[in-house]
Amino acid sequence: MSTVSAERQAQAAKQSRQLGTLLRETSSEIVLFVGAIVMMMPFLWMLSTALKTPAEILTWPPRLIPQEATLANFVTVFTTAPFGLWLLNSLILAVVSTLGILLTSSVAGYVLAKFSFPGRAALFTIILATAIVPFEVYMIPLYLAARDLGVINTLPGILLPFVIMSFGIFFIRQNVIASIPDELIEAGRIDGASELWIFGRVVMPLLTGPLSALGIFAFMQAWNQFVWPLLVANSKALYTAEVGLALFQTGFTINFGAVSAGSVISVLPILTVFIILRKQIINGVALSGLKG
Amino acid sequence: MTKRFITLILTALLGVSFAQTITVWSGFPEMEAFYRYVADDFEAENPGVTIEILTQPLRDFERKVTVALPSNSAADILEISSSFAARLVQGGLIPALPDNLAEYVRSEAYNDFFVENASFDGNVYGVPLFRGQGALFYNTAMFEEAGLPGPPQTMEEYIDYANQLTVRDDSGNPTRSGWSLRLTGGGSGVAEKFWTIMHQYGGSIVEQTADGLWKNGYNNEAGQQAVQLYVDLVNKDNVVTPELKGDAEGFELGTTAMFIRESWVIGDIASKAPDLEYDTALLPEGTIALPVNLYVTNDNSEAYAFVEYALKPEYQLWLFENVGWLPNRQDVDYTPVIEAIPQVEAFLNVPEEHNLFTVPPIAPIDEIQTRFAERLVQAYTDESLVDNPEGIAEFLAEAAAETDAILERAGLLGE
Amino acid sequence: MTSPITRKRWFFAYAALAPILAIYLFVRIIPIGRTFLMSFRNWDLIALNKPFIGMANYLELLKDPSFQTSLVNTTVIAFGIVILSVPAALLVAVLLSRPRKLSAFYETAYFLPVVTSMVPATLAWKWILDADLGPLNQFIGFFGMSPKAWLIEPGLAIFSIILLSAWKVLGYNMIIFLVGIRNIPATYYEAATIDGATNLQRFRYITLPQLRPILLFVSVITVIQSYNVYTQVYVLASDAQGAPGYVVRVLVYDMIENGFRFFRMGYASAEAMVLLLIVMTLTLLQFAFLRERT
Repeated sequence: MSTVSAERQAQAAKQSRQLGTLLRETSSEIVLFVGAIVMMMPFLWMLSTALKTPAEILTWPPRLIPQEATLANFVTVFTTAPFGLWLLNSLILAVVSTLGILLTSSVAGYVLAKFSFPGRAALFTIILATAIVPFEVYMIPLYLAARDLGVINTLPGILLPFVIMSFGIFFIRQNVIASIPDELIEAGRIDGASELWIFGRVVMPLLTGPLSALGIFAFMQAWNQFVWPLLVANSKALYTAEVGLALFQTGFTINFGAVSAGSVISVLPILTVFIILRKQIINGVALSGLKG
Repeated sequence: MTKRFITLILTALLGVSFAQTITVWSGFPEMEAFYRYVADDFEAENPGVTIEILTQPLRDFERKVTVALPSNSAADILEISSSFAARLVQGGLIPALPDNLAEYVRSEAYNDFFVENASFDGNVYGVPLFRGQGALFYNTAMFEEAGLPGPPQTMEEYIDYANQLTVRDDSGNPTRSGWSLRLTGGGSGVAEKFWTIMHQYGGSIVEQTADGLWKNGYNNEAGQQAVQLYVDLVNKDNVVTPELKGDAEGFELGTTAMFIRESWVIGDIASKAPDLEYDTALLPEGTIALPVNLYVTNDNSEAYAFVEYALKPEYQLWLFENVGWLPNRQDVDYTPVIEAIPQVEAFLNVPEEHNLFTVPPIAPIDEIQTRFAERLVQAYTDESLVDNPEGIAEFLAEAAAETDAILERAGLLGE
Repeated sequence: MTSPITRKRWFFAYAALAPILAIYLFVRIIPIGRTFLMSFRNWDLIALNKPFIGMANYLELLKDPSFQTSLVNTTVIAFGIVILSVPAALLVAVLLSRPRKLSAFYETAYFLPVVTSMVPATLAWKWILDADLGPLNQFIGFFGMSPKAWLIEPGLAIFSIILLSAWKVLGYNMIIFLVGIRNIPATYYEAATIDGATNLQRFRYITLPQLRPILLFVSVITVIQSYNVYTQVYVLASDAQGAPGYVVRVLVYDMIENGFRFFRMGYASAEAMVLLLIVMTLTLLQFAFLRERT
């Protein structure tokens, strides 16, 4: 074989690889893009409904872009109800709940992942099991317990079930197993560090990605709570945004315009949290130079 | 407005009352405006008393009351439907009304029907406030176009008009239904709508027996005719299908010429389809009415005072004009409202002979209706039931067996 | 014979877990325990008397056609959601793990369904799934299929629920996968590139194995959440607003109906315990299958 044709073969192979890569790149971009549009449609719909008059919401077939856009729904939401107060309640609930869940999940997740002690498997199973039973089924005993504690119709009462999250503990546990090697912890112990120091200084910094994701999920879960706040709040002043939105319906119809407007406003805090924490999530902590 | 707000917040956060507070709970968010309107006047006349109102969507509200009342954390005044209240009253959770209020309820102010549905075992427990009630809505423009003289007066006319008013496409499928029937949906709605139609033939889902107990009331000619009506209109005459937009939505969009529903549709049409040409009419025999009463949960004189206050004639008119529910007091002059919105007449002026019925106050009624509804939904689109009276009879017998079994389980099955 | 070091570690573990466990006891374990006890009784939510009836509720459940339908429906829906949303979420996460110009747009777009409220979202979905004019029918029309009544026909209604639920949860799973992928040490990939591995090989031999614990997490919680599906069903087909949908009976819907509409709390509690048993078994199976090493 002459070197020239070997060279040309190599060049042809390289070109076909480049073509393959280009095709893969473009097709994956197309898939992503089309998928993104499909994902966004209902949200855009919600936004469009928020801007429509009742007559236009009724129109069939529906139009994505409203012909007579109006801000009336947004005005309704804020004037016919103390929506601002309710947003504040939601915010307080969500923030405190998130902090509680982040703390308890990181501690419990870490311990369940890295410490073997008698009863560990049983404990983890029980924690997971509590996430399986539907809330509506055990909410009556919980309500009675809350009443005995005297927290019915108070913010702590609404917070009560949401300071822990089984999925949170499970999530941190899996992430600890996946990305924190035993050697790292052992190294700390050999160096004479206390367990608490290891947890705070070695483990937690490596969990910023998972903790950010968990933060978003916990925030969202608390924000969207409906059944329990309804049950516990005996005064409108304690309603959360989600509960308040349910009031924009009469005995027989739902005021979709107002509900959509309220939902759009409701979504903003979560989206903000998401945009802020996005960086943390996608920039994972790369453990470099540890192996070997 | 602000003062009340601050009081509310402080009360909620600190649990401290700055005045005597009366709490009112309702399962209809639209009623808040009514209670607020009445409360503003009441508070002005009774300084030192604050009325706090809480509304929630109906299902969640009923759940809340069920949990809160037995544990003494419910409001002073509860606005609940008579059928839901029955269990609470029978469970001893609500005290009987004081004599003066009980006498008032028994007076000319209310039709016997409402007094009965607010009483139990000889005592009066609730004060009737408003009701939901069905009537026929029909599109006058479409009727004129079809050359029909007026609303149907008999069931034969209903079926006949429905056929005449239906517009079909080339393959025979309806693009505009002559009569929109409730054919799908969860819960007891399907059963209630069916009951209203079967009522015209003289049947009911459950009926009381001689010994004060209950049994199914539809395994008979009335049930047969009602089921046949549905089966024929859906499968044989192609008047209506589950896919066609129906109910209030369909009526407003013009995809149906008539349907039976409650008075709230009037307000809905006003806001979503104000140019619609329509009118309302009484049903041939009678209709469903769901009374909602006010119950006071403790011996609180201010609460009783507020309830009495809310019954003033001016507030009954305000209730209908602004909220849309039908006030129950019959000794109030409703002509100004009827003049403003003529379609209201079929709802407000109910003649003596019009036979009202309501959901009976027994615990398993929801289950009975829901299970029956599931069977009905299957039957409506079952083509094998067309021109098949034996098939329909079999269907009814099976469903009736289930209804009776549920009654038996609850210890309510009679002879 | 446990060494002092081990015992010191146990002490830390117990001490750290104790307060968390205390909270769990109060807000979850004890209430659920009382639910378990309730499953052996008859209670209509009002009566003071709650007679003990032994296994009667459970025996009735076994013969209850409503429960059987709910169980079948929910299982089909759960598996459907897992099949539809987990691989897709992994694919999107892998695609997004490499920096792209539109990354921010994509991540937000895929996350939007997670934050879209269900009630306004169903308006959009009712249109998408509409028998006459919905885009879904237009889409399948391109492939020569006839339009279908997605919301009305029982079998199709189940598919609609699966579609709607998978749509809602995909972004959630995607983020979890993204976090997992991001935490895989870059050194592994660098070594693989030096060895001349293709993208597919990197995925198969590095990404997938490293993601095992995360994969286990996603599949377990998706199954658990899917068995708890309720809101979508209720909003699409409740009796409240003339909803056009066919009621897809699912377990939680059945439970809430039994407990709060038919006033049979003991019966509903028994149903919840059976749900717990079934999903716990499935969960343990998944743990065994994706064999954990810790």
